[in-house]
This record gives sequence, C-alpha cells and structure tokens, in this order.
Amino acid sequence: MIFREVEDRDLIAKARRGHVEAYNVLVSRWEKRVFNYLLRLVGQREDALDLSQDVFLKAYQNLKKLDDPAKFPGWLFRIAHNEAYSLLRKNRPEGEMVVEPKMAEASGGLFPIESTLAVRSALARLSDDHREAVLLKVYQGFKFEEMAEILSCPVSTVKSRLYTALDLLKQTLGPVNTGGAE
Amino acid sequence: MSCELDLTGYVVDELAKRERGVVEDHVRGCQSCREELDRLNLTRSALASLEDEEIPRRIAFVSDRVFEPRWWQTMWHSGPVMGFASAALLAAAILAHAFVVHPMAVDTAQVEKRIESQLNARVQAAVNEAQARQSAEFAKVLDATEHRFETQRQADLANFLQADEYRQKQMARLEVASNEASGQ
Repeated sequence: MIFREVEDRDLIAKARRGHVEAYNVLVSRWEKRVFNYLLRLVGQREDALDLSQDVFLKAYQNLKKLDDPAKFPGWLFRIAHNEAYSLLRKNRPEGEMVVEPKMAEASGGLFPIESTLAVRSALARLSDDHREAVLLKVYQGFKFEEMAEILSCPVSTVKSRLYTALDLLKQTLGPVNTGGAE
Repeated sequence: MSCELDLTGYVVDELAKRERGVVEDHVRGCQSCREELDRLNLTRSALASLEDEEIPRRIAFVSDRVFEPRWWQTMWHSGPVMGFASAALLAAAILAHAFVVHPMAVDTAQVEKRIESQLNARVQAAVNEAQARQSAEFAKVLDATEHRFETQRQADLANFLQADEYRQKQMARLEVASNEASGQ
C-alpha cells in the first residue's frame, strides 16, 4: 500500500506535467473502485459508468488544484460523491426517500448467491446518506476524517450515519447470517 | 446492551490500540456485549461478501484525442525518438560543416540538365498514369455498355420467341377451329 501510494504520487506528478499516459495508468488503477462505489450509490450500471467517466475527466481538469498528492483517493472520491449527488438530486428533486429496512424476511440459511442478493437489497433500502457511509467505510476503507472531507460534513455526522446504517443492516443481515451459520 | 462500549467503532477499525484492548477485555466477561459484537461482525462479513463488479468498459478518457499529447510532447518524452533526432541533427551539422569548409564548384548546365531530365521523367510518369487511368475508365464504360446491350438483346430475343410461340399457338388454334368448321 505504501509503494502504491508512492507510485500514485509519482503518476500524479507526471500527469500534472501533461504526461497523459501517466494519468491513464492512474485511471486504470482507480476506475474499478470508483465505478463500484458509484454503482452501489446510484444503483444503475449505465449511470455509474457515465458518472465514472465524468469523475475522471473532472479529476484530470482539476489535478493541479490537488494540494497534496497523498490525498488523491479522498479527493477523487469527493468528486465522485459530488457527481453522484448531482444525479441523485436530479432524479429525486422532491427530497430523499428514506426506506427503513425490513426485518430479515428469511430466517433459514442462505446460499452465497442469496446472501449477495440479500446484501444488495439491504444496501438499496438504506437512504443515500447511510448507504454512502457504509460504502466509504466498509468497501473503500476510508477513515472517519477522510470521509468527513469527502462528504463535507463533521466527523460526528459521518459517525452517526455509519452507526445508524450498520445498526439497520444488522437487523436485516445479522439474523440471516446467524441462521445460516447454524 | 447496557455497557457503554464503542463496539461498532471496534468492528470498523476506528479505535485506538488502547481502546481496542478495553473492548477485548470487556467482551470476555460480558455475554451480551459478546453477542452484540458477533452480530456486528456477521453483518460486516455479510457486507464483505459482496464482490466488486468488473467495469463494463474502460473509461474512454484513455482514447480521447482531445487529451492526447501534441507531437512535440510525444517526441520530447520519447527517449528513442529524441536519440534519433539528436543523431540526425549531428549528421546534418557534420554535412553542413563539410559543405561550408569545402564549397563545391557548381556546374549550372549539368544541374539544369539533371533537373530537366527529372522533370521530363515526372511529366512522362504523370502522363502515363493519366492515360492508364483513362484507358481503365474507358474499358470499364465499354464493358458496362456491352453488358447493357447484351442484356437488352437477350430480352428482345426472349420477347420475340415468346411472341412467336404465341403466334404459332394461335395459328394452330385457328387451324383446329377451321378444320372443325369444315367438318360440320
């Protein structure tokens, strides 16, 4: 991870000097992570792909504004967050529709594919803010401080969103997994 | 759960080493916290079972011409090209130096003759090329015309044969009718 950070920093420095190939390498390194984050956030594959495209284009155009290349991951995900929320707001102008997760509908053991579907469904039932907190923490491994920068909100808000989200997910996924383990 | 411990912080790896130790010590002796921690760990494991999808297609930025480097940028960043360019520049400099130091006597008549012969050769080549192109086009038009005529001829012949056959049938019919009329 340390080597990777060093290499990313080197690539960013080269890309800033107009070395397009260096930026292309950077894109190929991060595109899968950004795409999956956006896919789980907006829910539509085509939208996620279009947004990924926009994210990397904006990142390239603003690369010189990045003060510290070591903060590239958070900076990139901040762009992704902004792009995703622009789309979500456009699609849902009247306000966020929060759907509370139901309690586990199946109490028996689940096959892996069912487990995947259950996770996907449970995530989809969270509000955008709660889901995003889980995505950034569980799937992208950001620290609370980094998440606060990405989301432009206090650490306490980030923490509250994540704890609520995990509590809701625990109600949906916890009993199922416990049942499956038995 | 009545104990004031940050079990979620423990599961998402946001606690300092000392706080982690406190949680670990506590759950050894507290069954309800241990069960809560198990539920949180199971939830986290379930979430982790969702694998990343492959991106359906590469980000198009890579092939976007707008962002391609200009030719001089490509050259500037290419070691072999820069090396070749340097060598070529050096060779040109040596050549120029040789000409400057030992200027050659220029035979104007010979140069003019050479230019004229080269010019003639190029003109002749251009004429030959134009003629060949014209011949090819003419042959193509001729072929097409012949083909059209042949098709027309075949159609006329077919019409003629059909008309002739019809005429023969009519004649036969007339003959039969005539014979029948004669018989009556």
